[in-house]
Amino acid sequence: MIEPMAQANKQRRPDRAALVIAAGLLALALLVAWDASRLGAGGAYARIGPQTIPYLIAVCLAGLSAWTVVAAYRHSFPEREPQEFAPVLWIVGGLVAQMALIKFTGFSIATGVLFAMTARGMGRVSLPLALLSGILISAFVWFVFARLLQLTLPAGPLEHLMLEGADIITAPFRSAPGGAA
Amino acid sequence: MKHLLATAMLAGALALPAAAFAADYSIMAPAAPGGGWDQTARSLQESFTTEGVSGNVQVVNVPGAGGTIGLAQFAQEANGDPTKLMVGGYVMVGAILTNKSPVTLDAVTPIARLTGEYEVIVVPAASDIQTLADLVTKLKADPGAVSWAGGSAGGTDHITAGLFAKTVGVDPKLVNYVAFSGGGEALAAVLGNQVTVGISGYGEFQSQVEAGALRVIGVSAPEKVAIINGPTFKEGGVDLVVQNWRGVWAGPDLTAEQVAAVSADIEKMVNSAAWKTTLETKGWNNTYLAGDAFKTQLAAEITATEAILKDIGLVQ
Amino acid sequence: METFALLLQGLAVAAQPINLLYALVGVTLGTAVGVLPGIGPATTVALLLPVTYKLDPAGSLIMFAGIYYGGMYGGSTTSILLNTPGESASIVTALEGNKMAKAGRGGPALATAAIGSFVAGLIATIALAFLAPWVVKFALAFGPREYFALMVLAFVTVSAAFGDSALRGLTSLFIGLTLGIIGIDLQTGQARMSFGIPDLLDGVEVTTLAVAMFAIGETLFVAAQGKRAPETVEPVRGSLWMSATDWARSWKPWLRGTAIGFPIGAMPAGGAEIGTFFSYAVEKKLSRHPEEFGNGAIEGVAGPEAANNASAAGTLVPLLTLGLPTSATAAIMLAGFQQYGLQPGPLLFTSNPQLVWGLIASLLIANLMLIVLNLPLIGLWVKLLTIPKPWLYAGILLFATLGTIGANPSVFELGMLLVFGLLGYGLRLFHFPIAPVVVGLILGPMAEQQLRRALAISQGDVMVLFTSPISATLLIAAALALIVPAILRARGKGQVLAEVAADGD
Repeated sequence: MIEPMAQANKQRRPDRAALVIAAGLLALALLVAWDASRLGAGGAYARIGPQTIPYLIAVCLAGLSAWTVVAAYRHSFPEREPQEFAPVLWIVGGLVAQMALIKFTGFSIATGVLFAMTARGMGRVSLPLALLSGILISAFVWFVFARLLQLTLPAGPLEHLMLEGADIITAPFRSAPGGAA
Repeated sequence: MKHLLATAMLAGALALPAAAFAADYSIMAPAAPGGGWDQTARSLQESFTTEGVSGNVQVVNVPGAGGTIGLAQFAQEANGDPTKLMVGGYVMVGAILTNKSPVTLDAVTPIARLTGEYEVIVVPAASDIQTLADLVTKLKADPGAVSWAGGSAGGTDHITAGLFAKTVGVDPKLVNYVAFSGGGEALAAVLGNQVTVGISGYGEFQSQVEAGALRVIGVSAPEKVAIINGPTFKEGGVDLVVQNWRGVWAGPDLTAEQVAAVSADIEKMVNSAAWKTTLETKGWNNTYLAGDAFKTQLAAEITATEAILKDIGLVQ
Repeated sequence: METFALLLQGLAVAAQPINLLYALVGVTLGTAVGVLPGIGPATTVALLLPVTYKLDPAGSLIMFAGIYYGGMYGGSTTSILLNTPGESASIVTALEGNKMAKAGRGGPALATAAIGSFVAGLIATIALAFLAPWVVKFALAFGPREYFALMVLAFVTVSAAFGDSALRGLTSLFIGLTLGIIGIDLQTGQARMSFGIPDLLDGVEVTTLAVAMFAIGETLFVAAQGKRAPETVEPVRGSLWMSATDWARSWKPWLRGTAIGFPIGAMPAGGAEIGTFFSYAVEKKLSRHPEEFGNGAIEGVAGPEAANNASAAGTLVPLLTLGLPTSATAAIMLAGFQQYGLQPGPLLFTSNPQLVWGLIASLLIANLMLIVLNLPLIGLWVKLLTIPKPWLYAGILLFATLGTIGANPSVFELGMLLVFGLLGYGLRLFHFPIAPVVVGLILGPMAEQQLRRALAISQGDVMVLFTSPISATLLIAAALALIVPAILRARGKGQVLAEVAADGD
């Protein structure tokens, strides 16, 4: 009994998510058009300037928005599976944490936090263990890429500690005669 | 595989013996690895360390928006810190204006101009334009019919084209400038006869000029340059000199002593054998200019650049 | 035959033990760093430039060659196994390659990529040695209007190949095109869609978008499936090695990919990723198993991977013959040449023949070394997939952000990674295809700039687009590619195709 009811409901009511997407596309179209409208002229010889293509894209986006509305009423959008949002929040939280921390704690600790929160989001793992292994892996990766390959990766207290350690270990080699060549 | 990796890492470690030292100077290249500023910064790094001016030097790349992103970051991070330097150049002067950058070169301390490159105007060997005078005649007759291939709008190439037009009495707005993204696209367009003239630093065109595929009809240098087979703008009857230079800056709010110390280090570096070798192998001209002379020159260029960018219509 | 003698002489130079060692170091480093998402061969070569200050010119160029080829190859491994393209030229590889890996066919996918890269590299390097002067003439015939026509053809063929549903495919494409507007307009210097944010002035980095959409979007999507997603993927189903069928289905795409990638790589404004787009579209069209496309068709890995490596060799054509760097990596190699006071160009072949042929020979050797190094590693790589899900995805995000931070250490860039990652998740949720977004970001700005250049040169005369034989031919081909399927559909013959397309997702 419930099945046909739901079916009927579905037929009558448009696909809400599709309508939201259509609204989003229309908003994007308006944004692009507004941005293009404040551009100065230019390309006098080409007869098409910096605003021509954006206007074209805006018109097409608006058209796609209308098409999506039609699709919403015809229910031609595929079914969505139910989603679990807790794991997604863990991972997004990890990325935000990395962004917030990286300037202050350096690469290894910030990325270690991302590692741990992602692992926690994907399954049942021990958070302290994940954090420790994440920081260790990141520190190793930092050393290889920042020191040996000269990539610019932000350094923090942990990285400076590692460098001092490396300095002590390599000191005898550096002072050895002819060793630097 | 592990052995291979270890070998590779070892090779890397041996070749970069400075890698494990603590940094004395940190030089910002406000561009991605590989470009002119990056090469300048890395050459500074090399000369600093080989000459013993500084124990270890680190290069930091902050790419984006013609160097203005790096500039903004530098002005903040290097405040009162005499160990931080930034490489920059004429391109940054233009980028600050066209991008309406909130942080300008006023926010940092100019130390010295180091190297420079002159702009050349080239035509394909088969072109009917033989001299600068031919180009001027064509430009005056129908500015739109002369298409100029060069780097991005508002860059040194575009500015030079605009100044050229202005000097010969043509409205810079009417210059039919076609911007190409770097990496030789402009050169390909000239070689393929797609455009009337090409305008860029001589380095871009050098090999083709030497091979006879392109002809230099004008050089933006004040006097004849030995390696360039072509007349200067002045010799061709156009009174214009443009230099695409690169220099070095220190952070804001330094004491006079700190500025003097940094300037002394740079001067020592400029006179070093290592730097001279670098200039030679890279084909850079030494246009070293320091202290107040550089400051005055910089201020004059900023004013002139703003004026021409307004004339071209890139800055309101 | 003089060329042949010079090549042999070059092989002799490159085969010196010390040069072989440089090639090996280069290939290993290139592969190791190329595996990192977001860090392409260009950054690697730039960073390693100081290392070569200490080597002689021949040695350093040989090492460059190894890094270049290694970097081009390394990107495909993460594309296939982790759905995380290392650089823009291996985005297409992820489409079919990752589906294969998820079905336990990661071994054959990696093998066809490795062997395809080898075959393409071999043929293209030989072509570089013998055909360079003619290829470069053809490449120079391409001006802005011809490039514009080529881009139009790419749009038409590529959007036909990526679309499960026309509405959703086009929507994805236009999202990509919109992202492509962001930044300073090259022709007028005006900022578009930047809203006064300086970090947006240089536009959206393709690798940032690709890494976010594929790696982060995928991670979020898998996480949101919770327990319904399998705990681990079965790494090997059937053979680890390529079967006879795999070989039979791979060799033609390798050759076609090479034929497409090499000339496009040689074009000053071609670019490696365009070749991979075309190759994918062609293979989908020609395949006897079009229904497998989107579910792990081996042709979709073999072709684009071959095209990718062939265009790497193609890039060297204008570099060596004209001194024209057509890719970021080539620009840095040019700087390497200048390091030794050498000016690449027509004179280089006559003034430094030993060096040029040594380089070409070392490309051949680097290529051989790549396959020797990589085939035995496939078994090991595939085992990566047996890592339990939490650790595997944590590792993916670690390396994805490492690549982004390394390329541009700014918090803003990380923010873009997050935003586009969420966008990628949202698109997956509603079954929008991902690849067209990236395609739009790459092709859109190129097409726009070329059109505006063409029209500036012609002073606004649109007819120039049709008066060049090359651009006219390309535009007609594009029109046919658009019209013919429509006619077929109208006559009912397209029904099967349409059905296939409908359940494609």
